[in-house]
Amino acid sequence: MPGAAPPVDDGVGESVEDLVIRTSDLTKRFGAIVAVNRLNLRVRRGEVYGFLGPNGAGKTTTLRMLLGLAKPTSGSAEVLGSGAGSAGSIGQIGALIESPGFYPSLSGRDNLRVMAKHSGASKERIGEVLEEVDLAGRAQDRFGDYSQGMKQRLGIAAALLKDPELVILDEPTNGLDPAGMAEIRSFIRELRGRRTVLLSSHLMHEVEQTCDRVGVISNGSLIREGTVDELRGASTLRMVAHPLQGARQLIETMPQVEAVEIMDGALRVTTDSKAAASINKELVNAGFAVSELRPERATLEEVFLSLTRGVNSQ
Amino acid sequence: MSSVIANLIILRKRVSTWILMGVWVLLGLTFAYLLPYLTLRGADSTTAQATLTTLLPENLIGSVLGGFPVFGGVIALMLGVLAIGSDYGWDTLKTTLSQRSGRLRLLTSKITAVGLGLFVYVLAIFATAAIASYTIATLEGATASWPSALDLLQAFGAGWFLLVIWAFIGLGLAVLSRGTALAIGLGVLYALLIESLLTALAGQVSWLEGLVEYSLRANAYSIVTALGVPATSLADNGPGSFSGPFVDTGQAFLVLCVYAGVFFLFSTTTFLRRDIA
Repeated sequence: MPGAAPPVDDGVGESVEDLVIRTSDLTKRFGAIVAVNRLNLRVRRGEVYGFLGPNGAGKTTTLRMLLGLAKPTSGSAEVLGSGAGSAGSIGQIGALIESPGFYPSLSGRDNLRVMAKHSGASKERIGEVLEEVDLAGRAQDRFGDYSQGMKQRLGIAAALLKDPELVILDEPTNGLDPAGMAEIRSFIRELRGRRTVLLSSHLMHEVEQTCDRVGVISNGSLIREGTVDELRGASTLRMVAHPLQGARQLIETMPQVEAVEIMDGALRVTTDSKAAASINKELVNAGFAVSELRPERATLEEVFLSLTRGVNSQ
Repeated sequence: MSSVIANLIILRKRVSTWILMGVWVLLGLTFAYLLPYLTLRGADSTTAQATLTTLLPENLIGSVLGGFPVFGGVIALMLGVLAIGSDYGWDTLKTTLSQRSGRLRLLTSKITAVGLGLFVYVLAIFATAAIASYTIATLEGATASWPSALDLLQAFGAGWFLLVIWAFIGLGLAVLSRGTALAIGLGVLYALLIESLLTALAGQVSWLEGLVEYSLRANAYSIVTALGVPATSLADNGPGSFSGPFVDTGQAFLVLCVYAGVFFLFSTTTFLRRDIA
């Protein structure tokens, strides 16, 4: 196409146009404490990005900097093509940071009215978002009388008020019962593709169920990034066969097997899980007694714990 | 403008806004009309007549405006504190600033809303005082003649101005302490105790008198006395008492504007500089 400029690369293989959030060595210090340390975060348009980390890892501080609520000590952040906290970016962001903050003596609807006045959202939009979070029936009740789940839902409603391009949710299922959690997660999944979502959480299954990509933060640094599958690594097969050493030697000769090791009295075979039947057949044909065969894969929690333990023990 | 409307909605829907207004109106009526009216019964005829005169509609300005410099000021200070200090406690600043950027816009919209709210406060105290004075005139069979519209307008404007100055101070203290309790405590301590002590000691320590001339109390009372509040009535005004030095009205207006400006500048720079927790 003549005259069309190629997409600018940001130096790490991402097209800048596709990036909704881009931080460069973002750092925040509180005295001697480094809350966020040279963070380079990349969130792509349309994805649900899980920002995973233990409590105190620097997740909320990062989100506050993205919203301009806190100033970075050094480094920079660009959100939707504008500086973090600028009118250009805030106008397109909906956010729920930590606990939802609203006026307790005002009703849910009045709180949204106030927020709509600030953001310039229409009156009709208030009704729409209340319906969207299933709070229309209790919209006239005082916020102070809401249950924790209703407060969270109102927080999400406020985040959606501007029909934003980017939704930032910080621990949105905090304090919710299992039904409430499931509801919020399904809601986040519904947003996928329609909006970009940055979901901060320390709940593994939440991230596993909702996110396309995950960044693991610990002690203020991004220590791993990838899809949930990438983070969990390849699946393995756990097999118990007799005699064990002979079975191991046979499996090692099979072309579909990448590696095999003995662990806790069983064989751990690194291979495609689809190869399980053929491996089993060959072992049985060779006279081995196979008493157990099941796919095994590290959970996100195991990966997370191994990653964060490693960092925390340093 | 839409942010001002947002803050007006908050003020209107908050119970504390109406409680403060109710308390002020109630105290104003009690101390300016009810208690003096009850003393009429046991007083000798000369004293009773003099007291009655102060309670009639013609002295509406003198009866009402005397309560603005300190007591009304404390109420306005509280409203100013609550307007922003509560946002720290309720964590609503982050919600608001996530809706739209602009801390300066938020702060100015809050003070504008408080200013408009105080307009209603002034209206309420003047209206209820007018009703009280008219009722007393009717009960005592006295003629109800009213101050001129211009005098009323001036008194109304001056009263509103004094309250706004105090609201600016409240706003500054709330931003400084990032809350309400300490800000109100400090504000009330300053208004009712520190300035009261400074004024009382000013007669004994010469250099203090010069300092007191720049106090809120001296400048605010100077404005209201210029508008018809008898200076003699202020000497036994409880914790809000004042017996001088009075200053020129122009200087008083200027000094009070400097107070507002300093506190606004201080609030703004602090609010813009700090992270929102």
